Amino acid sequence: MNKPAYFWPILSFAALIAIWQVAALIAASLTLPGPSETFHAMREEIEFGYFSHLLATLARVAAAFLIAMAIGSAIGVWLGMNAAADRFFGGWVILFLNLPALVTIILCYVWFGLTEAAAVTAVAVNKIPNVAATVREGAKALSTDLAEMAQVYRLSWPAKMRHVVLPQLAPFFAAAARNGLALVWKIVLVVELLGRPNGVGFKIHEHFQLFNVAAILAYAIGFIIVVQIIEWTILQPWERAANRWRR
Amino acid sequence: MDDPATVGKGCEQVAQMSLSIDIRRKDFGPAIVLEKIAFTAKLGERIALLGPSGVGKSTLLSLIAGLDTDYDGTITSAGRTAMIFQAPRLLPWRSLIQNLLIAVPDATEQEARAALDEVGLRDAADQHPEKVSLGMQRRAALARALLAKPNLLLMDEPLVSLDVEAAKAMRALLLKTLNLTGATALIATHDRREALFLADRVLEIGGAPATLIRDRATGLPDGEQRNADMIETLHKEWFE
Repeated sequence: MNKPAYFWPILSFAALIAIWQVAALIAASLTLPGPSETFHAMREEIEFGYFSHLLATLARVAAAFLIAMAIGSAIGVWLGMNAAADRFFGGWVILFLNLPALVTIILCYVWFGLTEAAAVTAVAVNKIPNVAATVREGAKALSTDLAEMAQVYRLSWPAKMRHVVLPQLAPFFAAAARNGLALVWKIVLVVELLGRPNGVGFKIHEHFQLFNVAAILAYAIGFIIVVQIIEWTILQPWERAANRWRR
Repeated sequence: MDDPATVGKGCEQVAQMSLSIDIRRKDFGPAIVLEKIAFTAKLGERIALLGPSGVGKSTLLSLIAGLDTDYDGTITSAGRTAMIFQAPRLLPWRSLIQNLLIAVPDATEQEARAALDEVGLRDAADQHPEKVSLGMQRRAALARALLAKPNLLLMDEPLVSLDVEAAKAMRALLLKTLNLTGATALIATHDRREALFLADRVLEIGGAPATLIRDRATGLPDGEQRNADMIETLHKEWFE
């Protein structure tokens, strides 16, 4: 019998929830609430601004993600196409890649105050070297054949970027975006925990102090769903469109 | 009339000369690739650059195309240059028609479709390069070069790695389109018969570093009237 495409994802997801439920029953503890308690906590939280907190976090993720993608890509393309610059600044990228997120966050708050701009900057700074390193590999592998073709036919700079360079980098942007989204939202929670008056990270901190594990899980799951929706509705269709020309 | 030795020395002669090459030396580090290669081409002349694979023909073409400016000597060419590379070098993420229009943005879509029609690709215009055969990609690259309305058309092994039938069809197409454009053509090839078929004049380059060994006019009738017998006779006379 032919099964529809969503058969296996749904089955695997159901199995995960079942295991969770069984584990919760065995543990029989407030520190490991089952799916039903978590769902109940979610419904309770909705009365206390559940969606507005999700939205605040989502806005920070979006801002930090876009800034990091733009700046990181520019740095990556530059380093990938300019060997001298890469020799000089390559070490900086490694250094920033290894700088702990927590350190950047604390430094940003100390230097710029507990502001929204400091929070978004801290997250973006964490993500930029990541994007730069990924995109740099793509820019290093740009085709000389096509560059020569563009030169013979005297393509203008914008045309060369749009038709020759960026399509070759698209898979690397996609990889950076994919890894980036997951990383960014995890760091945003830390930023919120340390110095913001709203958002999922702030609420998790609050419920941690109350030892309300069900609410913590409710917020985590809510945001996982949001990120998954972004993956399905934006990233995957975009990747498919960018790869349509392949055999 | 135009003794190659005098062309380019007077201004009145420059007008009918489309390409003047005087390369004293081209090296890649310690390896000298080309030395003392000098010739001029008249407008509309079809010249084959004949030499074994790896001798430096592609290097010479990339110097003429301006892709490599690191050499000792002078190259003067008038007007627009187009090049057909050994590989088609189409943008795989753009359709054939888009490939033409990106390379030649001042052409209209209608003109680009006509150029593809000319090389027998009317129905494949909206396909992506990787979804058509190598022969078709080659023809699309030819159409792209033609659409640019070049004064100088450089071709690097235009028939290599095509099967016999595709090569024959491509050769006929090249002859037909070269007649249409009237551009000066420089065709790099390792195949003697191909050189005799396509060109009016054959420059042989060889040795290490490669130099110009011989410069001969084929004296054959106009491209499309050439037949295999003429080519065989001349091939025997020249190379055996």
